[in-house]
Amino acid sequence: MTTDNSASRVDTIGNLIDPKLKPFIKLPESPSGKPHLIGSKCSSCGEYFFPKRAVCPNCLKDEKPEDMLLGNKGKLYTYCIVKAAPLGFDAPYAIGYVDIPEGLRIFSPLTECDKGKIKIGMDLELIVDKIREDETGQAVYGYKFKPVSL
Amino acid sequence: MRTVYIIGVGMTKFGRFPESNVIELGRTAALNALRDAGINKKDIQVAYAGHARTGQLYNRECGVGQSILWELGISGIPISSVGNFCSSGSTALREAWMAVGTGMYDVAFAIGVEKLTGRAGKGRPLTSDGVELLTVMGFSPPIYFGNVATRHMADYGTTPEQCAMVAVKNRKNAGPNPRCQYKDPITIEEVLNSPVIVEPLTLLNCCPTTDGSAAAILCSKEVVSRYTSKPIEIAASALRSGPYKKCKDITTFGSDRMSALDAYETAGIGPEDIDFAEVHDCFTIAEIIHYEDFGFCKKGEGGRFVEEGMADMGGKLPVSPSGGLMSRGHPIGATGLAQVAEAVWQLRGVAENQVEGAKVAFTHCAGGFQDTIELGDVQSSAVTILKRGW
Repeated sequence: MTTDNSASRVDTIGNLIDPKLKPFIKLPESPSGKPHLIGSKCSSCGEYFFPKRAVCPNCLKDEKPEDMLLGNKGKLYTYCIVKAAPLGFDAPYAIGYVDIPEGLRIFSPLTECDKGKIKIGMDLELIVDKIREDETGQAVYGYKFKPVSL
Repeated sequence: MRTVYIIGVGMTKFGRFPESNVIELGRTAALNALRDAGINKKDIQVAYAGHARTGQLYNRECGVGQSILWELGISGIPISSVGNFCSSGSTALREAWMAVGTGMYDVAFAIGVEKLTGRAGKGRPLTSDGVELLTVMGFSPPIYFGNVATRHMADYGTTPEQCAMVAVKNRKNAGPNPRCQYKDPITIEEVLNSPVIVEPLTLLNCCPTTDGSAAAILCSKEVVSRYTSKPIEIAASALRSGPYKKCKDITTFGSDRMSALDAYETAGIGPEDIDFAEVHDCFTIAEIIHYEDFGFCKKGEGGRFVEEGMADMGGKLPVSPSGGLMSRGHPIGATGLAQVAEAVWQLRGVAENQVEGAKVAFTHCAGGFQDTIELGDVQSSAVTILKRGW
């Protein structure tokens, strides 16, 4: 029963993920699993990309770069704390750039927005969580990074 | 390329004019430029209009230049729109410069216009153009520059006080300039204590929402003597898009470094030869980084540059003597040409906040983001170097 409930919870979250972000997020298949970002890797020059690219922009050789699950850990490169939020977002929230092991520096909301608890260089892990609300007040999910220490 | 001169410039006052419309604003600036040049409208052979939000806000993506010039009886010539983020006006100037410089035309018009008070989301930051993916994740330009500020502060010890000094300096410069949206002096404390937009940036660290227009008339060396004995030479006009670089350093802008180097090379000068600069101070931290990227000071020393008064009137290199985007306001497509108009008045020696004896000016506009989750560079950067042509 527990497994079924968790699976349906994953399904529900899947339906709540912003359609624009859906192609880039792999939800865990089991309750103990972790989410991953989906990037791409060029079969010719070996470069990683996130979000995935239709053509490898480096060598133009691979027009169907393979989808790759990227590491779900990262280190905080920089951040800011948003007080005047765009429509649908609930301030305050922190948002920054995270260095992931594939050598990419990516934009991501953070779960923690207490300035005293955020440090450049801190270890982070990927989670899937609510990022905003749509026009009807429905929660919209996306990926976020969460401090490992908390 | 043959030498190209600016023979006339015009502007509207910059501010919030909800009753106005884009065509009215553009017409006023264009008419001012025609009168300043003392030129017969029949002599205009080609025109470019820079605007970045008229499509999104007023369903007018094309034809802005045609409509503005139609009202002034200028028609039947090649007219086209130039959209290039915050550099739209500077890019219109560059198109006009190329049209004349290549020898195809002798006289060209460049107009920049924007009316931002019509945008939705009052009290919220302006969203960026064409970044759907980032926008669903909560991106806005202040967020990018907030991230820039945090890292610059961590790497180089730049302080919120130093950022505030940029706002204070530019507001002081705006005092005598009747075209600025904000002219009352402010203090460091007022900047620091204004509402937080994106920590570490408060409201007074961000440029305001503004309507306005500016225009310039360019001509070739061959015909310049017909119009004026005091033309302003376009010594360089450079444009770059954002370079892709993995794990880019957020505390420097690649497009800006490249466009500035291009411009210095074309003009055959270096930063030490500039008498003043009008830079894209969309956020105070941006101006601090511009000092570094353009070689006004070393990397990491931008905060100290403003703190030590180097960018002040009478300092080593006065920056934004007009008041900058911070005080004049930033009607996106108009800003690049407003900087050029202000620089022309400085070089003629008639600016309200005059840099004594200014002979060489550096103007810079930049903006736009790539719609990718990876950290990207600013997607347009235009640098124009102007000098006295007499």
